[in-house]
Amino acid sequence: MTRTATPAGPARPGFLWAVPAAVFFGLFAVVPLVMVAVLSFAHWDGLSGPEFAGLDNWRTLLDDPVMLKSLWLSVLLTALGVLVQTPLSILLGVWAAGHQRNRAVLSAVYFVPMLLSIAAVSVLWRAVLDPNLGVPAHAAWLFGDGNLFGSQATAIGVLVFVSTWQFTPLHTLIYQGAARAIPQVLYQAAQIDGAGTVRQFFHITLPQLRNALITSVILMVVGGLTTFDTVLILTQGGPGSDTTISAFYMYQKAFKSFDYGAASAVALLLVLVSTVISLVVVRLSGYDKMRSTMEGL
Amino acid sequence: MRQRARFSRTVVVGAAALALVLPLSGCGADSGAAADDTIRVLVYGDAANKVEKEIVATFNKTSKVKAVLDTIPGADYQAKLQTIINSKQAPDVFFNWGGGSIKPFVDADLLLPLDPFIEEDPALKEKFLPSVFNSAVVDGASYGVPMRGTQPVLLFHNGKVLKKAGVEPPETWDDLLAAVMALKSDGVTPIALGGGDRWPTLMWFEYLYDRIAGPELFEKALAGDREVWASPDSREALGKIRELVDAGAFGTNYDSVKFTDQGSATLLATGKAAFELMGSWEYSTQQDAHPEFAENDLGYSAFPSVEGGKGDQANIVGNTNNFYSVLKRTKHPEAAAEFLKLMYSDQFVKAQLGIGNLPTTTNTEEFLDTAASPEFATFQYDLVKEAPAFQLSWDQAYPQSAATSMYQALQQFFNGSLDEDAFIAAMQALPTP
Repeated sequence: MTRTATPAGPARPGFLWAVPAAVFFGLFAVVPLVMVAVLSFAHWDGLSGPEFAGLDNWRTLLDDPVMLKSLWLSVLLTALGVLVQTPLSILLGVWAAGHQRNRAVLSAVYFVPMLLSIAAVSVLWRAVLDPNLGVPAHAAWLFGDGNLFGSQATAIGVLVFVSTWQFTPLHTLIYQGAARAIPQVLYQAAQIDGAGTVRQFFHITLPQLRNALITSVILMVVGGLTTFDTVLILTQGGPGSDTTISAFYMYQKAFKSFDYGAASAVALLLVLVSTVISLVVVRLSGYDKMRSTMEGL
Repeated sequence: MRQRARFSRTVVVGAAALALVLPLSGCGADSGAAADDTIRVLVYGDAANKVEKEIVATFNKTSKVKAVLDTIPGADYQAKLQTIINSKQAPDVFFNWGGGSIKPFVDADLLLPLDPFIEEDPALKEKFLPSVFNSAVVDGASYGVPMRGTQPVLLFHNGKVLKKAGVEPPETWDDLLAAVMALKSDGVTPIALGGGDRWPTLMWFEYLYDRIAGPELFEKALAGDREVWASPDSREALGKIRELVDAGAFGTNYDSVKFTDQGSATLLATGKAAFELMGSWEYSTQQDAHPEFAENDLGYSAFPSVEGGKGDQANIVGNTNNFYSVLKRTKHPEAAAEFLKLMYSDQFVKAQLGIGNLPTTTNTEEFLDTAASPEFATFQYDLVKEAPAFQLSWDQAYPQSAATSMYQALQQFFNGSLDEDAFIAAMQALPTP
């Protein structure tokens, strides 16, 4: 213990401060998680008591082609979500942070999807994309026969599109706030040096948005891995099992097949995979030691 | 002393009332009184509840034990039933689909066999069409009494479209294929299919397996004989399905169409498609959504025969009926039995016919002319009465745990992403009751 000399600063908050959050977390996250872990070693249909099953559920799960596919699909949907939403929301957010004409009105319009419930949005898009009664019927040049929910690629496309439509406003808001906080002196100095708008964007705005980017991407990853409602309403995991992501697969096992043991195993596997992905993201992005972007100002 | 006794009784009664009311309000049910002399009846919440309410009212007029009706909105019914059925909130009498839907409850020893009641009052069995009554017989014991309408699957058509293409409702498989070709060259989708829902796709499998292999194949499969899925008959049925899909009978975007949001029904009504294989509820769906079409151009026929097939042409598939089953833990089995006897009363039959349902009692025939659509009711009734076999929908006959994998396999074989052997393997892997 040689590193005792910490620089004098504000006193560290005591352990007591953490109690409310710890109790809440324990009760609603740790306890259910432990119960799910226990259940994953049992057969239970909810009718008679759970029966100890040893490694049965796990063995079936690891041999189950749909399980592996569902994990892969979860990761794929998350990655596509991040790749599509991030550039869009950075551009929109930076634009919305400016002082252009009509900006306030348009920003308010862009914000609307976020106010709608995801279930309502999914039902809406399902109707809009109906091959015979919706938009595809009138735009064959773009949609062909309109069989959007009939092949894996297009069904995934629809899922990514609908969550982009729904969640881009939230991330736009994050970037807008961050872009507003960039000191104007930086732009003024750049202007004097002769940097154009594009150059200012890449050399001032983007680096200054670093922390906002990390926050937004982590929100997207967490949201993406736990997506469920859009799949339930838009594709039901189909065609076949082609959009059955892990969270939806867990729902099918629990509430369609009434096999709570297997569902718990899926859930636990999803928790493990998500934890690993989160750790990697946190480590790579430096979220754990977010540095100020204001150094030197 | 007296004072204290009264106090504690108030507390107990109050607590009991609270305990009963709380779960009820959770279900969104409207029921007031709750005490020891009631039986709770749980049904699937939809428009048909009107009749169930009337029957409960009739029962309560004469019975000392009062019935209380609870409803759970449609889509959530099975999941919620499963969670409460082995708890204190369990009902005394509940709605179900017979077959695989009650088998797990029978296995968990939760249901009361109705055979002793039938011995006392044979009418409780004899008053119902046997093909229907039998689909709630599990391991040789009767567990359910039919309580709504039968819903056979029929081949519906748009009369105007058929006329324009010069096509008659098909009587044989070859007729159907010829009709498909004629309709295609006429520029309409021959058959509307809500493949996005998946159960409409299942109906084609059910009928083709029945026509080609006879009802025995599926019965054997259900009994645990997995080899039948690989039999030549099974392969022939699959070949026929492939033939029909590849002929373009369903167009190309059927997997993006649903029946539940009226997508496929609208195709039929607006003349963009000529046929739809659907449960008898197509009729009331069209009456609601496209009354003019239902009145003038909506036609229906039995599924065509297949030459050389082992299945009788008069066989049908579908939902045989819904059933009331009784829980073993009920405090009032006698009252429950009395309640079940109302399911073959004249009042019940008339009320069901009035809302467009077709009850399956032997006295239904007398009242067919009072039905909402007498002609359609008579057609269905004769079909069900004459049917040598009435196959319960596969997704109801198999246990719940099989449904997801079954739907996946059906959809994938249908759209060509799974070949014959892979489909057979998938069906062989399903858990049987």
